[in-house]
Amino acid sequence: MPNLIDMRDIIKVYPNGVVANRDVNFSVEKGEIHALVGENGAGKSTLMKILYGLEQPTGGQIFLNGRPVTIHNSHQAINLGIGMVHQNFMLIPSFTVAENVVLGQEPTKRQMIDAEAATRITLQLAQAYGLDVDPAAKVEATPVGMRQRVEILKTLYRGADLLILDEPTAVLTPQETDDLFDAVRRLVGQGKTVIFITHKLVEVKEISDRVTVMRHGEVTGRMQMADVSEEDIARMMVGRDVLFRIEKPPQQRGEAVVRVSGLSYVSATGRPLLRNVSFNVYHGEILGIAGVEGNGQTQLAELLGGLAPPTTGEATIGGQSILGRGPRHVREAGVAHIPEDRLTNGVALEASIADNLVVDRYYRPPFTHRGAMSLRQIRQHAENLMQKFDIRAAGAEATIGSLSGGNMQKVIIAREFSADPALLIAAQPTRGVDIGASEFVRRQLVEARNAGKAVLLISADLAEILTLADRIAVMYKGEIVAVFPNSPDLSEEALGLYMLGLKRQTPPEIESHL
Amino acid sequence: MSATRRQMALEIVRIVLVVALALLLGFFITALVSDDPVGAYTEFLTGPLPKVSINDDGSWQLRGVNRFGNWIEDSITLILLGLSVAIVFSARQFSLGAEGQLFLGALAAGAVSLYIQAPAVIHISLALIAAGTAGFIWGLIPGALKAYLNADEIVSTLMLNIIAIQFYQFVLIRYMRDFSAGYVGTEYFPETAVLPVVIPGTRVTVALFITIAAVVVVWFFMSRMPLGYEIRMLGANRKFAEYGGIKVKRVITLSMAISGILAGLAGTHLSMGLLKQLTLSLSPNIGFEGIVVALLARNDPKWVPVAGLFYGYLRTGAQIMERSSDVTREMVLVIQAVIILFITAELILPLIQQWWRRRRSPKAILDSIEEVGDVA
Repeated sequence: MPNLIDMRDIIKVYPNGVVANRDVNFSVEKGEIHALVGENGAGKSTLMKILYGLEQPTGGQIFLNGRPVTIHNSHQAINLGIGMVHQNFMLIPSFTVAENVVLGQEPTKRQMIDAEAATRITLQLAQAYGLDVDPAAKVEATPVGMRQRVEILKTLYRGADLLILDEPTAVLTPQETDDLFDAVRRLVGQGKTVIFITHKLVEVKEISDRVTVMRHGEVTGRMQMADVSEEDIARMMVGRDVLFRIEKPPQQRGEAVVRVSGLSYVSATGRPLLRNVSFNVYHGEILGIAGVEGNGQTQLAELLGGLAPPTTGEATIGGQSILGRGPRHVREAGVAHIPEDRLTNGVALEASIADNLVVDRYYRPPFTHRGAMSLRQIRQHAENLMQKFDIRAAGAEATIGSLSGGNMQKVIIAREFSADPALLIAAQPTRGVDIGASEFVRRQLVEARNAGKAVLLISADLAEILTLADRIAVMYKGEIVAVFPNSPDLSEEALGLYMLGLKRQTPPEIESHL
Repeated sequence: MSATRRQMALEIVRIVLVVALALLLGFFITALVSDDPVGAYTEFLTGPLPKVSINDDGSWQLRGVNRFGNWIEDSITLILLGLSVAIVFSARQFSLGAEGQLFLGALAAGAVSLYIQAPAVIHISLALIAAGTAGFIWGLIPGALKAYLNADEIVSTLMLNIIAIQFYQFVLIRYMRDFSAGYVGTEYFPETAVLPVVIPGTRVTVALFITIAAVVVVWFFMSRMPLGYEIRMLGANRKFAEYGGIKVKRVITLSMAISGILAGLAGTHLSMGLLKQLTLSLSPNIGFEGIVVALLARNDPKWVPVAGLFYGYLRTGAQIMERSSDVTREMVLVIQAVIILFITAELILPLIQQWWRRRRSPKAILDSIEEVGDVA
């Protein structure tokens, strides 16, 4: 029996000369869960975009059930039974769940959209596949997990037999991830086929039947899941052995570096995003802030970085208030900040690496001397940091935009670490960064802690927090609802209960670990 | 370094190719409207250059020096305005205020020229300072409005242009006019306030040296001074600049104010160099030509003189073609605009490359890329 999908000798060269796929062979059998893994830039998204008709291959052929097909656009892909759930949901927030599911192929009655039929269809589909949704709810009011189920229902409604899920767990809590996996298993049980794009190896192992590994635009491995270990897959992805464990010597905690007290923030539209947040970060410790994204972590990092003034409350370093006078004041007080949104805040894409590395220090000697900047010093500085932090680029004058995501992150890390801060705020420091570079970033964070710095690690990746943090605070709806000293007993599931707001500590409990 | 050098070489090849294509297109249009396209286009392409003519007795003389002068005179205005625009555009502020700043610069220079008496060096210096200050202030206003009140700079600078020009004309008509002249204009400036000519037979004055100095100063300012760095980072990514600790509002205000100085200086070239008086309409809409120059130079001060000379050459050549052939003024402007349009359309060359690539097989493409190495 022919494979459901056979992509043969796929070549994709973008107009700018980047080779995204090089002679890629990829096949999926009917009824399997097939994981497609690889680092950022390995070419897996491109391959799937080709399958879904969003990109045209430069060379190669696609076979569906043994018949050659050409897929010019996503419309055609849908007609062939191929559906894709993107990483960023493509839903209309102000429409209801049912309206979103039927969008584009609405059931009509006398030229009008039949809302009742839409609800009925949604419910039927939801029941048939065990994807629990509320058809009448507005999408903007539903949790992320449900939005994802809506996306899946949308593709099922359009008659998809093959579902491509692009990094589906990136935005989910552990509990939601379990729910998703159950749903995926049920889908396969009912005869659907699933391609699962991810770089989280635990998940690959847990959910999929077979795995295809890509690196540098080529397939480096294709095997039955039962035959391989996580380490094997990691090696194929990165091209060398990867250390999953990070050596962390026992903590030598010192005095409090920063004291945050009663921090609140109300958005311009009047929504309270932070409520009375208080904590200390000590010399030689990593304080991890866990929480489902969108529970105030972003605002916390921005406030402490000086990007916005708090509505009430303050943060002090050595008794001096640091907030309310802008980022330069905060930086000069000894705070460095790896921002969550790298492309928006962390770098200027069209400026050179050298220029990007001095944005917080260009006005000081040795970079500026008697009113003139020394290009030599700035270039030297860049070359030193590029070597020390292993930034791979054509040279110090190369633009940031020409770098890979991992190297871009290294530029930010290099700048912020070399500022020799007392407090380092690291917001989602490994998001979108491939395994090799993540490992590097994490090791740097631990090294900073060992050197006696205070590190505030804000991350949506629970495993990362559990590996790195000495203490963990959980945020829910803008509040700190629990603080724990980290220990091997602490599990992702236990934290998940606090993250979802199902449990919270009493104020004295929180107090005792501040 | 070698990578940047290769990029530079590619860029130059790109420009030469695109200019050649643009000129070809210009010729095509000329051929459509002229009975003698070759003659007309030759005038256009070579008009601004002085010509050597050899007499029967073997001696030689230069002809067309005044045309050459026209080219340089126009280029001086264009370069100063181009520098002005390049500064604000580097900060990604779309100020269109050069026109108003130029008028007020000319007015300030005119006032100093007519109402103050001093030895030439001091007199000219004072006039230049007055013009620069006027431009600075007329840039500071929209800059502060943008930075602190979020007033769109496109609207505010256009409105301020109207105010500046009307104010200039009001003062000129009401207070400075020389009623003995048959038109609206001031008396001629005293000798001490007229920029000395440096190329005999033309109106190319010391403004040429002022312009060269301005190019060097602006280049140094943008690439070697902290404020220039701040302007560049603001332009590259405002949020990044803010995050890095740059006081963004101050930089927005100053970038527009400093840009005004150069437009003000362009006003002195017109009043104290070319006209030697103030007239009702100095040089209408020249203020906006600085945008073309800055775009051609990609906002890089060191390329502004090249772009200014190139654009000045086109403009002068077009005027000569208009005077000496059957191509009408309207068509001349169309040809000129088509050439600029073609050159500033960044995507034309990549488009051609892509088309070329598509004609080759995937395998051949892979092979050609193999040498470059990994892209991931």
